[in-house]
Amino acid sequence: MKIAVCAKQIPDPATPYELDPEHHWIVRPDDQILDDTDRYGVEIGLQLAEASEGSVTLFSMSPAGNLQGIRQALAMGADKAVIVSDPALKGSDALVTAKVLARAIQQEGFDLVIAGTESTDGSAGVLPQQLSELLEVPALTFAKAVEHDGDTIRIHRQTPDGYDEVEATLPAVLTVTAGVVEPRYPTFKGIMQAKQKPVEQLTAADLGFDATEVGAAGSAQYVRSVTPVPARQAGEIVEDDGEAYRKILEVLEQAKVV
Amino acid sequence: MNFALTPEQEMLRDAARAYLADKVPMAKVRQIMETSEGFDRDVWSETAQMGWHGMAIPEAYGGAGYSFVELGIVLEELGRALTPVPFLSTVVLAAGVVEIAGDREQRAAYLPSFAAGESIGTVALVESDGRWLPDPPEVSAVPAGEGFVLSGTKHHVLDGHVADVIVVLATSPDGPDLFLVPGDAPGLSRAKVVTMDQTRCQASVTLDDVEVPAAARLGAPGSALETLDRLLDRAAVAVAFEQVGGAQRCLEMSVQYAKERYQFGRPIGSFQAIKHMCADMLVEVEAARSAAYYAGWAVTGDEDELRIVAPVAKSYCSDAYFQVAGDTIQVHGGIGFTWEHDAHLYFKRAKTDELLFGGPAEWRAKLADRLGL
Repeated sequence: MKIAVCAKQIPDPATPYELDPEHHWIVRPDDQILDDTDRYGVEIGLQLAEASEGSVTLFSMSPAGNLQGIRQALAMGADKAVIVSDPALKGSDALVTAKVLARAIQQEGFDLVIAGTESTDGSAGVLPQQLSELLEVPALTFAKAVEHDGDTIRIHRQTPDGYDEVEATLPAVLTVTAGVVEPRYPTFKGIMQAKQKPVEQLTAADLGFDATEVGAAGSAQYVRSVTPVPARQAGEIVEDDGEAYRKILEVLEQAKVV
Repeated sequence: MNFALTPEQEMLRDAARAYLADKVPMAKVRQIMETSEGFDRDVWSETAQMGWHGMAIPEAYGGAGYSFVELGIVLEELGRALTPVPFLSTVVLAAGVVEIAGDREQRAAYLPSFAAGESIGTVALVESDGRWLPDPPEVSAVPAGEGFVLSGTKHHVLDGHVADVIVVLATSPDGPDLFLVPGDAPGLSRAKVVTMDQTRCQASVTLDDVEVPAAARLGAPGSALETLDRLLDRAAVAVAFEQVGGAQRCLEMSVQYAKERYQFGRPIGSFQAIKHMCADMLVEVEAARSAAYYAGWAVTGDEDELRIVAPVAKSYCSDAYFQVAGDTIQVHGGIGFTWEHDAHLYFKRAKTDELLFGGPAEWRAKLADRLGL
């Protein structure tokens, strides 16, 4: 099985993001790490590939930088990576990104495309569905469990109340939630091999895009304004008259924790 | 010589740190140290699967054939997390002594299983006088038939209670010799002893007419002290890496606490007594790290240099860690003295590491000897 995994390099979430004041785009440093949510996709991809003697190719659209994030995914065991990196892509919205990735994935060929549910830095959460539309294959989303059998892929789709069982015939797009599997830690061998693995770097033109079709020019969506997160309010203080546990339960229920 | 870590080495450090933080956090360390085995077999097999055990073992014997610097990176992380695991004993001591003195058969018999995490090894050196190189060793190796019969008692055997193979220093008619003894050999009894540092186990091992074949002898007859001189240099460097990791963690805990603990309406870190203490800790940690990494490079890169820098690293890092771990308790004030806080675990590790394989004074004396002073 030929598996494509979308892997995004993002600025380390531990350090505050810098936004460029004019367009409100995230300023991307040279050092970007693998989006944590993509580690689950990589792991599922590796497990499915191991079970079917398949291969895992990473797809990413971002300023390549020093490729630290992609190397992390290669160190986990992915076979190769295709990076679309081009200044012309700056300012692309989710749909343009999906178009670019779809073309790169199509060019390479695939049986299954795996992505996280949404990126940690952008959080649009629409790209996988757009990919499925563009690639004209079904989308299985929010998987918290994945089973693969021949040409069929079956998932437990996370819902607020439980899960739905959904299945589709390959080729398909799959999005996985955090917790679907436990991502492996790169082995020493994997880390040392990562440098030798092929990383193909493409430009928008390599994929047949005109400069007007991509980047800010090709995007319908833009960020109009950005407001800082309000400072956290002081919590609510409940005097315990012996019944305070009810209040706690209420809050937890509201938060859907219990 | 390149002083910066390569991107691969950085990734190794990140992966090791992430694994240990997720799988063996301090709560787990405390749980493991209460068990009779004193280590966790799942963690042990996972660290082996990640390739940590075989990093510095030659490729011909199932390892990856990398340098002591890679091994040092992992040792630093293990020291930072106080992970209770027979890594130093197996990977540095047992694998080290077999690699230094073993013949081809012995290497082939032991190194692959050490690399794969299938067996635990250690060395048994110390006797009743408490020295790491008793000369001559009281444990006797008497020729009998084709082999030897070993008798006597060893102390402070790291992870001796769980080791599958114990390399025992004994006196044979040829002089001091090393023998590979299976942990379950008839006549061998071992008992875990109570240690101040509960995160690293020690055992006493008694040999009561333990028979071993002639092929169990490591190295040329009577050459044990030369072998061990080299092994202890490596062991000293390995401990130095662990000490750097532990000291770094102590520094981080202290700085964090100094920022968040308020007294008289301001963070305690704004008071000079605390601020200067933290600054001194940083200076110690940085100097210790430089010493450890240079020595780590010398293990694989320059054996003559290692003779000089191993004593420097061990003595410097021992003093630095002990100082920093002690100051960490001071910075934390009352909470730092409690059982629940981790400061005491680092303090105890710092104290036992200081004495492990010889205290700082002993290593300085060794350095003076080697420099011809």
